[in-house]
Amino acid sequence: MKKLVTRRELLTLIAATGTSSAVLGASAAIGLIPDTQVSIPQIPPIDAANRPIVAILGAGISGLTAAYELKKAGYECVILEAAPKAGGRVKTLRSGDIIDEVGNPQLVEFDDEPHMYFNAGAARIPSSHRNILHYCKELGVELEVFINENKETWYQDDAMLGGKRVKNIQFTTSARGFMAEILAKNFDRHALDQPLSEYEAEALLGAMRSFGDLSEGDLYKGSFRAGYRSGGFIDHGVQRDIIALSELLKSRFMRSALNANEGDTGPILFQAVGGMDKIVDGFVRQLEDKIYYNVIVSSVQLAADKVSITYENGGSKYLLEADYCFNCIPTHLMAGIDNNFPPEYIKAMSYPSRGTAYKSAFQTKTRFWEKEDIYGGISWTNQPMRQIWYPTHGMHKEKGVILSAYNYADPLYFTRLSQEDRLESVIRQGEKLHADYRQQVEKGVTVAWHRMNHMLGCSARWGRGFGGMTQEAEAMYRTLQQPAGGRHYAIGDQVSMHSAWQESAVLSAHWAINHMVERQAGAGDLPGQKL
Amino acid sequence: MTKISGKITAAVIVSLLAMQQSANAQQYELLESSNQPLSIKICATCHGSYGHGNPVVGGPSLAGLEPWYIKKQLQNFRSQYRGTQVDYLPGFEMRASVETLSDEEIESLLVSIQSWEARKPVATISGDSSHGSELYASCAACHGASGEGNELLGAPGLVGRDDWYMLRQLKIFKSGYRGSHPDDSGGAQMRVGMQALQSDQDMNDVLAYIGTLE
Repeated sequence: MKKLVTRRELLTLIAATGTSSAVLGASAAIGLIPDTQVSIPQIPPIDAANRPIVAILGAGISGLTAAYELKKAGYECVILEAAPKAGGRVKTLRSGDIIDEVGNPQLVEFDDEPHMYFNAGAARIPSSHRNILHYCKELGVELEVFINENKETWYQDDAMLGGKRVKNIQFTTSARGFMAEILAKNFDRHALDQPLSEYEAEALLGAMRSFGDLSEGDLYKGSFRAGYRSGGFIDHGVQRDIIALSELLKSRFMRSALNANEGDTGPILFQAVGGMDKIVDGFVRQLEDKIYYNVIVSSVQLAADKVSITYENGGSKYLLEADYCFNCIPTHLMAGIDNNFPPEYIKAMSYPSRGTAYKSAFQTKTRFWEKEDIYGGISWTNQPMRQIWYPTHGMHKEKGVILSAYNYADPLYFTRLSQEDRLESVIRQGEKLHADYRQQVEKGVTVAWHRMNHMLGCSARWGRGFGGMTQEAEAMYRTLQQPAGGRHYAIGDQVSMHSAWQESAVLSAHWAINHMVERQAGAGDLPGQKL
Repeated sequence: MTKISGKITAAVIVSLLAMQQSANAQQYELLESSNQPLSIKICATCHGSYGHGNPVVGGPSLAGLEPWYIKKQLQNFRSQYRGTQVDYLPGFEMRASVETLSDEEIESLLVSIQSWEARKPVATISGDSSHGSELYASCAACHGASGEGNELLGAPGLVGRDDWYMLRQLKIFKSGYRGSHPDDSGGAQMRVGMQALQSDQDMNDVLAYIGTLE
C-alpha cells in the first residue's frame, strides 16, 4: 500500500521551507478548514415490487436528509420522532411554541408576528456549506443574508476601561493601529529566513501602514476608520477616541477581536427567511406521511436479515421490522436504549461527551440597537452571557427578538439557576452593554440544549487535540461510522468531524447512504478495504 | 418485508398552544398532550428504556428498585434533601427534573416503574471481594446479610443495582454531597455507616462483594 504523507507531516514540510503565512494558506488547500463538495448520493433504482424498508430514528436534519434521498430512490421510509415536531436542534421559537427542557418547560409568548422569532439552535449557514444550500434550493427554502460580523456592535470587558462598552470598530481600529505601529517601527527586511528585496520590503511596509492607518513617522494617532464621534457630513468630522494599548491589552478580546468571525462564522452568512426551521418544513413537505411523532424508541435489535425496532406511543408498544436503520438519536441516549449492538460499537457510542450550550432570548419593546447604528451582528462581553445577537430580519419594525446569551464554555453557570434567576442574571449582565436593557426586554426564554428532553446535549464533543481529533477519538469515530451488523447506521452531526452544523448532519447521511449502496453492490462483502 | 404494526397520529396541541398560559402547571398540561405516559416523558430520557439505566448520561437503572425507596428519593429530591449541590451534576439534574411532581404524579410513576422488568447489571468495577465481604459486615446491619434491603430502616436492596452508580453514591455520601441535609435522617445514617469504608479501594472491594450477592 502506498504511504501517503499525513496532513500534519505536509504542514511540517511546508513550514520547514517557508513562513507561517505559507502554512496558513496551505491549511485551506489541504482541508484543515473543512471543504465540502455537493455529494448527493447516486442511488441505483429499486425493484418496485420489493422495496426495502428503512427505519429512520429521529427527524433531525440527518434523518430527514436520509429519508428524502432514499424515498426518492424508491425505498419505503418510516421516520420515528420522539418530539411532537421535526427538526431536532434546528429549532425556531415563535409565539405558542414549547421549550421542552426537562424539569423546566416553557411556553414562548413572543408577539405573534412573522418577524418575531428566535433560532434557538442552528442559526447560520456559511456559503461553503454547499449541501445544505443545495437542499434549500431544491426544497424551495428562501434564504437571506445573516449579518454575523458588524463593526457597529459593542465590546464590553470588565477588565478594560473600567467595564465601559466600546464600539467594535473603535476596538479593532485601535488594535490594528498599535500592532501596525510596532510592526512598522521594528521592520527589518533582512530578519527573515529569506530576506526580502527592497521592493518587496517597501510593499510590505506599505501594507502595514495601511493596515493600521499610520500617521507620519509610522505612529498610530487614531483613525477616522473608527467612525466619527460627531459631524462628518455637513461639518467636519470629530474622530472617536483612541483606546490606549495598555487598556486593549487588559482585555482577552485582543486575542479574538481581529479574527473572531472567520471561516464557518464569517461576516456574511445566510439564514432561512422566516426562521431556520423553514428548512425542516421543506423536508417535511416531501415526507409528510412518513413521519410519526411522539414515538419513543425503546429497543433496536440487529439480526442477519433485518433490524427490529420496538417503540412506544400512548402506553402501547409497537414493533417495526426494517431492512436498514438510519439512526440520529443522540448516541449518549442510544446507549440507554435496549440494543444488541457489538461491544466496540457501544463503546464508540458512549465515547463523545454531551455537548453543552446555553442560549436565551428576549422580545424587545423597541429595536433600541438600531438607534445605536446596529443592524444585525453580535456584541461581545466577557460576562457569562457572552453575546448579544441583533436580528438581521425585521429591520425598522417596532419590536424584535434578540439572542441575549450564548454560552458554550460554562453553560452550567445559567442552567443551575431557576428560570427567573436565569433571566434576571442575563438582564443584569446585559445592562453593561445597553443601559436601558431592563426596560427594553420582556418575555424571556432560555434554551439549555444539554437539558432538552429527547436530546440532553448540544453537538457531540469528540476528543480534540491540535488540528483535529485525537487518535483515540478518531478510532471511536470510525467505529461509529461503520454500520452495526451491516444494517444500522448512526448518523447526524454527531457522526462527523465538524459537529454543530447542518452541513455535517447532511454529509453524515450522504456518507451512510453511499456506504450502504456500495455494500449492496457487493464491494463491502469482500475482505479487506476497497482501494 | 413487514408493514408498520400500528398507526399513530401526531398529537394535536395547536389549539391548546394558542392559549396564552404561563403557569408551570398549565405548561405541564400542554406537554401532557403528547399522550405519552408520564414515566416515558420524565424518566426514560435519562434512565433508558424500561428503566434499565444509562451510564453515559449517569442515569442508574430503576427497574427492580423497591417502590418505597423510589418514592422516598423522589420526595427527597422534591424537598431539596438531595440534588442541590451544583458541583454534583447528576443529582442536580435529577432534582430539577422531578421538583415539580405532584404526589399523584409520583404514585403514577411508581405504577409504571413496577411494570419494568429488572435486569442483571453488568459489572464494571473490580475489587477484592473477600476483603469486601469483611467490610460488608457493617453494611449488613441495615441492608441485610444478602443485600436484600430493609424498608423499616429505610435501607434499599443492593442486589441488581449498577455498581458504577453505587460507587458514585458511596463517594458523595463520603464527601457529604448526599446525606448532609439536616432533615435527611436516612442519609445521615448512611454517612455514619460510611466510616467503615476508608478508601476508594474499600469501596471497590465492597462493591465487588455486593456483585456476588444473589
